[in-house]
Amino acid sequence: MAHPSQLGFQDAASPVMEELLHFHDHALMIVFLISTLVLYIIIAMVSTKLTNKYILDSQEIEIVWTVLPAVILILIALPSLRILYLMDEINDPHLTIKAMGHQWYWSYEYTDYENLGFDSYMIPTQDLNPGQFRLLETDHRMVIPMESPIRVLVSAEDVLHSWAVPSLGVKMDAVPGRLNQTAFIASRPGVFYGQCSEICGANHSFMPIVVESVPLEHFENWSSLMLKDA
Amino acid sequence: MLSSRALVRGLQCGLWRRVSTSSGAWAAHSHDVDMIDCSVPQYNNRLDTPLPDVPFVRNLNPEQKKLKEKENGPWTQLTKEEKLAIYRLTHELSYPEMRKGSKEWMTVLGGVFFFLGFTGLLVWWQRVYVYGDVPHTLSPEWVEQQTQRMIDMRVNPVHGFSHKWDYEKKQWK
Repeated sequence: MAHPSQLGFQDAASPVMEELLHFHDHALMIVFLISTLVLYIIIAMVSTKLTNKYILDSQEIEIVWTVLPAVILILIALPSLRILYLMDEINDPHLTIKAMGHQWYWSYEYTDYENLGFDSYMIPTQDLNPGQFRLLETDHRMVIPMESPIRVLVSAEDVLHSWAVPSLGVKMDAVPGRLNQTAFIASRPGVFYGQCSEICGANHSFMPIVVESVPLEHFENWSSLMLKDA
Repeated sequence: MLSSRALVRGLQCGLWRRVSTSSGAWAAHSHDVDMIDCSVPQYNNRLDTPLPDVPFVRNLNPEQKKLKEKENGPWTQLTKEEKLAIYRLTHELSYPEMRKGSKEWMTVLGGVFFFLGFTGLLVWWQRVYVYGDVPHTLSPEWVEQQTQRMIDMRVNPVHGFSHKWDYEKKQWK
């Protein structure tokens, strides 16, 4: 989850998110370089006492400032396309979970072996236990085994929603009548928070997503317990 | 389009003629600005034109005419004051005078600060009289418990939050 007054991304919990972090560093460095150059040029232009009235053309600098931006764009595009194709690789998931968006909660279905399904409502602020996170905690978390490829099929029962968990680098729109697929691997154990990312009515801000990544035995224990309770 | 034409005609008859016509607007500040005929060469004070198209003083009085006659002779015989007077006949401002600039920036900056301060007052009033209480999860006790929970949960352990906590010494790094 984000910590107070955080500016940058949350730490990556999946390999794709790590790649995205590095790409963001690369692109932002280019942006800073260009902005610094432009700012310097602006200040130099504004503060000079010299005037040149007789410039007609200059072929060399025109070539430079056409070719150089093209080269910079290629330097941005190559890593970007690499990550794009990385995200689309065949990943042979160990587990498939269906995340269905409702107004205003998420429901998760684990139907690979048994039929496990449950709803995940936000815990209202006045019902929080001391130290819990406001507007982020849910009564049931989506538990997944760590270091396993997971496939999530996202859809919605009523209006558009969007299933997003920033630290896993995942966001997928939940469209009623459509199945969208996304996949990730949780590289470390932990609890990862996200919030609904498509406006869906009055309580759009109050239907968070909590993913808990645990070792496989704990996941098996949890799913047996959940099936017993159901 | 027809309605806008009707609006203009309506404005231009009678009382509104002073504000809705360009000649009316010009007449309003005619004491500030002379009507310039831009079809003939004009004098200008510009850093990049040392010799404007026309001299500053077009109509010389007899004394000035005499000075101009003296300029036709050897310049070593001109006194310093005469040389300066000749300069001022052809140029209105010298280079330092052109570069001087005005003190307008102080007015602008003062105005900016004033309105920023006024806006700050409005925001403060709004905070006191319009907004309600913040949620109880922002109380110091809750924040302390929440921070401890974030450390226990290893939130952002790589570069972020929990990375800055020393788990052996149980303090911030």
